Amino acid sequence: MAEHVDLIYLDYAASTPVDPWVVEAMTALMTADGNYANPSSTHVAGRQSVKFIAHAAGQLAALLNTDPSRLIWTSGATESDNLAILGGAHYRQKRGRHLITMRTEHKAVTDTFAELERQGYSITWLNPEPSGLLDMAKFEEALRDDTQLVSIMHINNETGVIQDIAQIGAICRDRDILFHVDAAQSVGKIPVDLSALPVDMMSMTAHKVYGPKGIGALYIADRAGVHVDPLLFGGGQQRKLRPGTLPAQQIVGFGTAAAIAQSRMLRDLEHLNAMRDRLWSGIQDIPGLSTNGAIGCAFPGILNVSIKDVEGESLLLALEPLCVATGSACNSKNQEPSYVLRALGTSDALAQSAIRFSFGRPTSARDIDIAVDRYRSSVARLRNLAPGGVA
Amino acid sequence: MSADPYSARVRALFADPVHAGQLADAAGALLEDQGVRIAFSAQLAAGRIEALRFQAWGCPHVIAAAEAFCADYEGRNVAELLDFSTSGLMQSLSVPVEKTGRILVIEDTVRLLAQELVKLSPKEP
Repeated sequence: MAEHVDLIYLDYAASTPVDPWVVEAMTALMTADGNYANPSSTHVAGRQSVKFIAHAAGQLAALLNTDPSRLIWTSGATESDNLAILGGAHYRQKRGRHLITMRTEHKAVTDTFAELERQGYSITWLNPEPSGLLDMAKFEEALRDDTQLVSIMHINNETGVIQDIAQIGAICRDRDILFHVDAAQSVGKIPVDLSALPVDMMSMTAHKVYGPKGIGALYIADRAGVHVDPLLFGGGQQRKLRPGTLPAQQIVGFGTAAAIAQSRMLRDLEHLNAMRDRLWSGIQDIPGLSTNGAIGCAFPGILNVSIKDVEGESLLLALEPLCVATGSACNSKNQEPSYVLRALGTSDALAQSAIRFSFGRPTSARDIDIAVDRYRSSVARLRNLAPGGVA
Repeated sequence: MSADPYSARVRALFADPVHAGQLADAAGALLEDQGVRIAFSAQLAAGRIEALRFQAWGCPHVIAAAEAFCADYEGRNVAELLDFSTSGLMQSLSVPVEKTGRILVIEDTVRLLAQELVKLSPKEP
């Protein structure tokens, strides 16, 4: 992004820059004078790599208050979601083939459930309340005797709404149902205590929390009946659950990022709250503005707003040089409104105008003030450009 | 992994649509379809389009195409409007094919405008 020096990046829910300390820790495992050896090798250098990986696992486990042995390294949250959902459903299929998830989950989850549906599993797709939260009574109604797996995300990637995974997990635990949580947006950002939470499997990724892309993890609880069938074969690494040469430098990057996140989480949260509140107070009086997902139950790192009478794609372009996410599908050839926002009951027109602002450690008050000015002026310009009485 | 969906020309026209607006005491046409709303207004002088303005609710390609049309046809004879087609605009602005329907709304609105202007044009002796 070096050529775009004037960009205002407000898309930290999509990805974060790698912390310089993380880069330093990773570099030490990549060069000729570092510990680049294959951790599967039995020689001294290989055993050194194993030590680095064990240290990183300890750092991530400390962040989550769990045992390092419960973590499986993956390529990212998408793979973790696939391993948990496909692997968990396959492992428990003799007990039952009914599974539950929400329509507001990330594609890594919804597409995986759709694949299981094609394989003959019965899926219940739950809608959220307008706030974005799951209604517990409706959730309990959906449970069946043959329900074997439930997957509900922690922080929604579009709206920031935080689900009550403690309560959902408790309900699942009472019925011995596998409970998987996609925590790609929450690990390293808000407290996650796996020694207290009734969660069986949790997906996470490094690049949302100032670590490198290409590395994630799946937590699998040490509890009877909690297991996954592997998706990959060969090599036997990681108890044969996820074989393949471990990328030591990526893992060390994730571990370092986790340690940094743990050390400054409260400070980060205070900063995110301040940035979100500054943006919201700067735009909330614009006529026709509404939030997607209730702010009161949302992670402060994300603010998703829609605006009446403004076309979303033009708004996104007019907002440049702000780097924000739109309420449309990622595929530019398909301007379908976000399925997440539609599931909240948002009209197509409003969903199409949605803009997700997400904040990070580098976000400054100046960035927010520019964003406020740009949003206000862009909305005014596009409304002025439109024929009167826009539908 | 996503290329810039907008050409430099679309970006320039979208950023500075000098023909945006509505003319007073002018002939006009308005159409809404395909999730797009387009209005044109035009003032005539001796059978020529003296001034042409647009209003648009739509994606950047629609706004850029409306601006490009106005810039191109201001000063021309009304009769030339009757032959207007968006195929040239589609090419010059590199409009993605899936947006053809939206751009065709411009063509339909221009036809309506042309019909209005023909009514106002002085008849040949």
